[in-house]
Amino acid sequence: MLSRPSLRRRNENGEIILNLVPILDAMVTLIAFLLYTMSFLALVSIETQFPQASKDINQELIEKKPLQLTLTIRDQEMELWSPFGKVEKKILAFLEPGKPDTEALHAALLEIKKAFPEENQLVLAPASSINYDTLISVMDSARLLENSDPPMFRTNPETGTDEAIQTLFPEIVFGNLLSNESEGSGA
Amino acid sequence: MSIRRSIRLRKGRRRKQSESELPLTSMMDILVIILVFLLKSYTTSTNSLTTIAGIQIPVSASPDIPGDTLQVIVTPEGVTFENERIMDFVLAAAEAGTTEAHYRFKEADLDEEGLRVVPLFDALTKAREKAELLRAKSQARDENGQPLPFEGTLAIQADKRVRYETIRKIMYTAAAAGYKTFRFLALSREG
Repeated sequence: MLSRPSLRRRNENGEIILNLVPILDAMVTLIAFLLYTMSFLALVSIETQFPQASKDINQELIEKKPLQLTLTIRDQEMELWSPFGKVEKKILAFLEPGKPDTEALHAALLEIKKAFPEENQLVLAPASSINYDTLISVMDSARLLENSDPPMFRTNPETGTDEAIQTLFPEIVFGNLLSNESEGSGA
Repeated sequence: MSIRRSIRLRKGRRRKQSESELPLTSMMDILVIILVFLLKSYTTSTNSLTTIAGIQIPVSASPDIPGDTLQVIVTPEGVTFENERIMDFVLAAAEAGTTEAHYRFKEADLDEEGLRVVPLFDALTKAREKAELLRAKSQARDENGQPLPFEGTLAIQADKRVRYETIRKIMYTAAAAGYKTFRFLALSREG
């Protein structure tokens, strides 16, 4: 019985020509599949926890007067304050309606972080009318350190060495989730 | 040369010309480059989070990549949970002192003094029960031999115009349904 002739052909000079058509078919199919299943959206996330009510009041913690840094966002301004008066109250006016002064907020938070390097939490109390875009921009400026920010260090109590601080106040908690008020209120 | 021979020769020349092949090597090179590029980009897109047409997502500098979680999408017109539209808002009259009208929850959709959104609560509860059932049937167990606990994480993807009033109600409802961790989604500033 005769064997099947080879699909490889020779041209006039005797050079072998590979049959690239099936490989080409496979590649086109693969590219089509990858393009179809690929995600072109580069999504990022900002994580936050629902505030948990403590069953027993920790008297020691209250006596210690925690910072509990709070940012109240109203329609035209933001107010940075601490319920125990650990930081000076600061009012930051919006640059224009719906546009908070995130640079001023970031600078104010940097100063507070320098004074309280162990603190990581910021309580957010926005007014009902604040939109999602404003919330994201405020959370961005409150959570992240920028490349232009001066370096800050804190001493690790376990090792005794200085470590660079990588974030500002990364833990965001919404302080007015349980209230039904329209104004931004405190925690 | 006879006429017949001349025709035969011409036919043979034509056949030889029609057998000439396209140079596929350069095309192969291009396709290989595209394939390598796509495969490299493909590895970064690990989650199944989707979006819907017309939504304007804000931009964030956060470096955190969201993992696979249940997702609720809030547009100014309604709420979508896991690619299924579960409720529509109603257009409210412009408030005193403002010119812009905006969408609100229907009164019939709210309970617990207007804080809990009933259709969303039902959908979230159903999804949690389904996840817990799957975990109970799964072979994966914790240190005590119990099924792995429900993570209770919900991704919230909202249009940049959606008000905090709406987001607060959604977070409250989700917490009531057992979801205690929220991931606010935004577009990457770098991407």
